[in-house]
Amino acid sequence: MSGPSLEIRRSSASLWGEKTGMRRLPVVAKYIDTTTCIGCKACEVACQEWNDLGIVPTRQTGSYQTLPSLDAEYWNLIRFNERETEGGLAWLMRKDQCMHCEDPGCLAACPAPGAIVQYENGIVDVDPTRCIGCGYCLTGCPFNVPRFHAKTGKMAKCTLCVDRTQVGLEPACVKACPTGCLHFGTKDDMLALGRTRVEQLKGNGFEKAALYDPPGVGGTGVVTVLAHGDHPEWYDLPRDPQVPLGVRLWKNVLRPFGALAIFGTAVAAFVHYMTHGPHEPGPPGEEEP
Amino acid sequence: MSASAQAVVRARTVEDVAVGDVVVRHRLAARVIHWAVAFSFFFCLLSGLPIWTPVFGWMAGLLGGLTVCRVLHPWAGVLFFAGSAAMFLLWWREMRLGPRDREWLGPKVFRYMSFQERDPEVGKYNGGQKLFFFAVSLGAVGLLVSGLVLWWPTSFPRLVSVAGILLHDVTFILFAMAIVLHIYLATAAEPGTFRAMTRGTVSAAWARLHHPRWYREVREARRP
Repeated sequence: MSGPSLEIRRSSASLWGEKTGMRRLPVVAKYIDTTTCIGCKACEVACQEWNDLGIVPTRQTGSYQTLPSLDAEYWNLIRFNERETEGGLAWLMRKDQCMHCEDPGCLAACPAPGAIVQYENGIVDVDPTRCIGCGYCLTGCPFNVPRFHAKTGKMAKCTLCVDRTQVGLEPACVKACPTGCLHFGTKDDMLALGRTRVEQLKGNGFEKAALYDPPGVGGTGVVTVLAHGDHPEWYDLPRDPQVPLGVRLWKNVLRPFGALAIFGTAVAAFVHYMTHGPHEPGPPGEEEP
Repeated sequence: MSASAQAVVRARTVEDVAVGDVVVRHRLAARVIHWAVAFSFFFCLLSGLPIWTPVFGWMAGLLGGLTVCRVLHPWAGVLFFAGSAAMFLLWWREMRLGPRDREWLGPKVFRYMSFQERDPEVGKYNGGQKLFFFAVSLGAVGLLVSGLVLWWPTSFPRLVSVAGILLHDVTFILFAMAIVLHIYLATAAEPGTFRAMTRGTVSAAWARLHHPRWYREVREARRP
């Protein structure tokens, strides 16, 4: 969680007035080119170092992957998959982390006011002092990113190094990447970079190359170049990520109309009393049938 | 000692007996269980509403903050369910639906609410009360099952979690509406009812009006 200098666009469990709206800031994004990633894990180390995260013991699972999955103390994981393709065996490295959705499902699902915020520049961040550890964010996230600290239960994830980017530095992972497969800048610039790279790949025989910026969540603050863009699941990416319909139904329909229904029942009872009065026994001796 | 005071003393251990002009409706054990359920429900309400919507966020302050709510709400829910289960075991025999009780699902309930319903065969509980009893019992199960899913968010697939949220919400909304009606009918709408759950007794006139067959049975001491 950064200082107060970043403008807030959206804030969890807020009805009105969450948007500060003083300054216009360009939307930023991280660019990941999976085709030039060599799986060196420098970004993982840089992330651990900069964010002062604890030591998570690696587990050997017969893969080039450090851990089976993200962790509350491991926000950046190079996922590794092997696939048989027409051009031979493909080693697919993909940097897994919070995608910083334009329309974040975690924020939509979060019940704690201000625990998850989206800054004006698109970064989605967590305020652990406000997080209540309920885990609803995990239900809302289509990328299975939120993790919870074993001791505090608080949610933790990539912040897009908001403490670096708000003072004009690039995220730690981008700084550390030796092959230049990571870049950071405005979303427009990163999209342009991605399109150029996709064209190059298509020219090199990867006809299905694509830029992963899924529209189901309004696009993401992490855009990923995939050589096999027709198979995002090869990279453990959902084909068409969406904020679960049930979360929308709950927040936008059930909650307001449910509250109205309960309140309406009380009003109906009051009206009933005004129009019918109490039902009580008549005076003694006056037997009811 | 007046009949009224004698009745309260008798209501500690027995029910369905007449003492002078007063009838014992709920013995102490039944009342204790009822209020255990009621208080745990209101604790759930107080700790759950601020998580449900920030409109009720101010309630969290009464308990010491939203995190306290998140920690205590599931345990209060367990108490609520335990109380509900005890209440079910206590009352389900008396709540068994008779052949005509199902009519309460139809226009009968509207006749009742406009005080037009006159059925001399209404026993200790009318059909509406019996149906309400089974509805809230089912609701307690729904709240428990969905609540357990929400308690361990990392243990279930996303679809199950979403279903848990929706089921918890829908059940709660229906439950809360039912409770509003329950409280209204037991207090303002039908004076003389509330004391059945506090002192345990009702007046003979109340019993004759609302539960005529039960009153006759108690008078004739046909009920144990």
